[in-house]
Amino acid sequence: MDWLEKELAKALERKEPSPDFAAKLTARIESEAPRRSRLFHFPRWMPAAAAFVMLATSGSLAWRRHQGMVAKEQVMLAMRITAGKLNHVQAHVREAQQ
Amino acid sequence: MRSVGVLLLAALMPLSAQQFKFNLENLEKKASDTVDVSLSGSTLQFAAKFLDGKDPEEAKVKKLMSGIVGIYVKSFQFKAEGTWSQADLEGIRKQLHEPEWSRIVGVKSSEDRENTEVFVRTENKKIAGVAVISAEAKQLTVVNIVGDVDLESLADLSGHFGLPKLEAVPPKKSKR
Repeated sequence: MDWLEKELAKALERKEPSPDFAAKLTARIESEAPRRSRLFHFPRWMPAAAAFVMLATSGSLAWRRHQGMVAKEQVMLAMRITAGKLNHVQAHVREAQQ
Repeated sequence: MRSVGVLLLAALMPLSAQQFKFNLENLEKKASDTVDVSLSGSTLQFAAKFLDGKDPEEAKVKKLMSGIVGIYVKSFQFKAEGTWSQADLEGIRKQLHEPEWSRIVGVKSSEDRENTEVFVRTENKKIAGVAVISAEAKQLTVVNIVGDVDLESLADLSGHFGLPKLEAVPPKKSKR
């Protein structure tokens, strides 16, 4: 066994923990658990509420857009009818002028 | 304060409201097809946001709409002739009287059996509305456009919507 093997064996040899290790670890976990839950745990209804808000917002936007397009089509239809009638009048007036 | 608000609302109402009553409900049941457009100020402004400025037709309408606060159209298509009578239109014509309204042009075509009249409403020497009554054997149309209507732009629409553009008539040459 050369010096390197000796050093490795020494470094990796089994070391028993101190007798109060388990108690210390348990105490630390218990002290950190409430802090973690406050930071990372949302109430259960939160994702559902967020999904509802997103759906309601996108639905409302889609409905507003639909209403806008319907109103636009009505404007275009009204203008088509009016322009058609004025076109007819203009045609007759110009015919009379000639 | 409340009464001031009511008065203010009452003063603003005529700007967006229809300027004369159509009273054509009796024809709705007789018509085979009906077009009924009734758009007031806020709806028009909302609709204008959806007009595409890049589309030549829609751009023209958008420009025209800047002064318009109301568009009201009723158009009936009938299957048979004689379904409507002159009495149906008299109720409208009676409302379009001077000094508010002026009949600027009327075309009566015996060939097409079509009678179209255009009226303009003026307030403080400015155009505040346009009315069109068009009566054909099987079709009846009444239009009321409320607001500062640019008649040139309105007439310019004749070059759009698939309608032929009417060019200016050249002046007649004097005979020697």
